[in-house]
Amino acid sequence: MKKPAILWTTIAIAVVIIVAFFFARSGTQETYELRESFTVTLSVNANTIPHHELVPEDGVIFHATEVTAYEGESVFDVLNREMRNAGIHLVVRRTPIFDSVYIEAINNIFEFDEGPLSGWKYRVNGEFISIGASLYLVQPDDVIEWLYTLDLGRDIGLYE
Amino acid sequence: MNRQAHTFSEFHPVVSLLYFVAILGFSMFIMHPIALVISFSCAGIYAIYLNGKAAITSLKYMIPLLLLTAILNPLFNHRGVTILAYLPNGNPLTLESITYGIAAAIMLITVITWFTCLNKIITGEKLVYLFGRVSPALALILAMSLRFVPRFIAQMRVISHAQKCIGQKRGIKTISILLTWALENAIETADSMKARGYGLPNRTAFSVFRFRKRDGYAIAYISTCIICITWSAVTGALYFRYFPTIGGNESSTPLAFIAYLALGILPIAVNFKT
Repeated sequence: MKKPAILWTTIAIAVVIIVAFFFARSGTQETYELRESFTVTLSVNANTIPHHELVPEDGVIFHATEVTAYEGESVFDVLNREMRNAGIHLVVRRTPIFDSVYIEAINNIFEFDEGPLSGWKYRVNGEFISIGASLYLVQPDDVIEWLYTLDLGRDIGLYE
Repeated sequence: MNRQAHTFSEFHPVVSLLYFVAILGFSMFIMHPIALVISFSCAGIYAIYLNGKAAITSLKYMIPLLLLTAILNPLFNHRGVTILAYLPNGNPLTLESITYGIAAAIMLITVITWFTCLNKIITGEKLVYLFGRVSPALALILAMSLRFVPRFIAQMRVISHAQKCIGQKRGIKTISILLTWALENAIETADSMKARGYGLPNRTAFSVFRFRKRDGYAIAYISTCIICITWSAVTGALYFRYFPTIGGNESSTPLAFIAYLALGILPIAVNFKT
């Protein structure tokens, strides 16, 4: 009956969704330049995966590097900036109501890709942190390591 | 647009059923781009051949659907190594997810188009013939639900004409009359079917379908295609990967695509031969 109506409805829905996406910003894009800066060490490691086309032989995706962090930044903020600068693929899932960020994938290695118990975990100064990466604030000279586990952390020493 | 001269619809219903089950199944599960293009072209040509202008008009719905799927996929799927840009929520927009979105959209449109062809070829009569002996209830439900919507629309037109004649035009009243008619009609149909002994054992249904020699040839042809395609799919010749990098199986032979094209082109080829 009303053929153009369907077309316009579809286009309208598409536009609304795209606009919604562009406004769905989370409040992490503030400028940190005025804050005090310090260095932390960041590394990303997936050596638990034996052979994977996206992982180099030594398993290191991002070699331990001293990077700049700003006061009040979370572990996630540092990871996000450095991955963006290095051009490494990073996928996160945000839950704004809890101000929470969950790391789904680094370098196209997604959680659950290597079995039902696999995913990304992080430790600071050798200690696994059991709260979300967006809630843990970095301190000067922290050593942040992101590790891929195949077995809920048992293979990377979570319960030792 | 009711051309009686399409020979493919004159084949035995078993042939049509086998053909559509095969082509729909392969169209849904084989995501190799060459296979998608083959199936899409065959479905498009056949739909235009069967439905004429209506097939081209249906592009009005198909193109927005294609665009919507192609746009929505990269918004929610961030897999893929080629980062084109970053979405405002921080996740990457990848070439691979856009490609997969387009491929999935084409697959969807192809399946819808094949279904429009199926509706034209496998009529209610053939459905009752095919499933009538296995399950009379299923055949009856299929046949009735297939003619339900066109019949409802036709009756609605009759009612609204009658309403106009007596000088009334109220939508709700039309629907109310339509519902009353539908309920009464359903009871009448059920009584009538019961009186004629539908679903009783040892009852035969008259049908004009005869299994001829050419039906046997067609089944052999379709089965050969199915075996070739299935074998290629099992051995990985039709394997194509969209994530994290786009790539197919280098050792794939053209056999699978030839068989796929042979299967897709069959109804059109049959019609052109005669």
